[in-house]
Amino acid sequence: MVKEIERAGIPVVHMCTVVPISLTVGANRIVPTIAIPHPLGNPSLDKAEEKALRRGLVERALEALETEVDDQTVFEK
Amino acid sequence: MRLELGNILIKDVQFGEKTKVDNGILFVNKEEIISLVREDDNFISVEVELARPGESIRITPVKDVIEPRVKVEGPGGIFPGFMSKVDTVGSGRTHVLKGAAVVTTGKVVGFQEGIIDMTGPGADYTPFSQLNNVVLVCEPKDGLKQHDHERALRMAGLKVAVYLGEAGRNVTPNEVNVYESLPLLKSIEKYPNLPKVAYVQMLQSQGLLHDTYVYGVDAKQTLSTLINPTDIMDGAIISGNCVSACDKNTTYHHLNNPIVHDLFEKHGKEINFVGMIITNENVYLADKERSSNWAANLAEYIGVDGVVISQEGFGNPDTDLIMNCVKIEKKGIKTVIVTDEYAGRDGASQSLADADPLADAVVTGGNANEVIELPPMDKIIGYTEPVNSIAGGFDGSLRENGSIVVELQAITGATNELGFNKLSAKGF
Repeated sequence: MVKEIERAGIPVVHMCTVVPISLTVGANRIVPTIAIPHPLGNPSLDKAEEKALRRGLVERALEALETEVDDQTVFEK
Repeated sequence: MRLELGNILIKDVQFGEKTKVDNGILFVNKEEIISLVREDDNFISVEVELARPGESIRITPVKDVIEPRVKVEGPGGIFPGFMSKVDTVGSGRTHVLKGAAVVTTGKVVGFQEGIIDMTGPGADYTPFSQLNNVVLVCEPKDGLKQHDHERALRMAGLKVAVYLGEAGRNVTPNEVNVYESLPLLKSIEKYPNLPKVAYVQMLQSQGLLHDTYVYGVDAKQTLSTLINPTDIMDGAIISGNCVSACDKNTTYHHLNNPIVHDLFEKHGKEINFVGMIITNENVYLADKERSSNWAANLAEYIGVDGVVISQEGFGNPDTDLIMNCVKIEKKGIKTVIVTDEYAGRDGASQSLADADPLADAVVTGGNANEVIELPPMDKIIGYTEPVNSIAGGFDGSLRENGSIVVELQAITGATNELGFNKLSAKGF
């Protein structure tokens, strides 16, 4: 899906837990997430902490979307 | 460590007044089994059914299959950490009721349970159609949580396997096989000219009903480690797993791991089988990295020339598999990986979710997406309704006449990644 959307000219950020698979399939902007059963959350945190975590991930993804890349890039921070 | 495995060949199973093995027939006291399982008040009812090779019987949804064994000499007992204390097993002598198994079923635990047909085309895809099965149909009490249900059913199967195994304690086995592994340095000294080979077994440990236990420890909480290969023949590794039926390792698979048996077979002749590493398949990337680093470091440390790596399950564990393969190859150690494929119903799609050019020696258990039609059976043990929702099934899988159209994924053991199946391919 990532590749097909990019082929249509729209940049994509792939948020995923298993970064190596994302690299293998050819995503260009990758934001690592938390865990496979809960990529964008963490049930062991309390609500406020989890909200902050989620917001951080979304903001990182938006920043990645605005960043020019020449090669496959993993946005760790 | 030296273990004698005495196989008592079981050619039939029947109900009887006393549980015993007589002339290759396993007699089973139904009431004793029922009261054993009912010790756990999580079950409101228990039925015991028998299913023999060739009978028109479908067992589903199958959770686990377990081979009855008993420790007759040496320390510890079968299924250490669960049915016995945690004494180290894998030495002395163990008797096996070869040809018999305990199969657990009942209300479905997870959505990834399986089907065993005792006859017809489906029977060719599951090794368990060839066994004399004692099937436990266990009904949980209302409101029992899924994880508690899984644990209760897991324990019921182990308990009954140990109970049946006990019947073989004083029976003279039909054959005795000896498996011996030496301390690493002695093994290297003994066969200095043979290539040193280890086995890396990946254990399903994703949690959420996808778990494996080692000496009673939940594998997702472990670091990769060494284990004596004979330990697993005494039940050191057991399944607590509701992952797709075709490629999960049941407890029966662990007890009879064909990679371990084949490596022992070639030990001292073609190779020097020096040891076994177990590692897990967790759901956090950091865990995947750490566990595969550790597996590679151990392989390097014991100084092997090659390893066989087996996977369990599919999807994100493909990444653990490729990480293990690549990291071990980069240590200068040759690898062979054993996996299966989800290549679509026509077999044309990419087989694994991850790949690397270093994974250049691959054994496949087959394509789990292949579709098969299973004709109706005269008798159902368990329930057929879940086949519309188990992995490999789909809405409409179960037809009105009782026949089933499913992917091989739904058949217990069909594409097993230890090679405990018969699927093969020929090129023309």
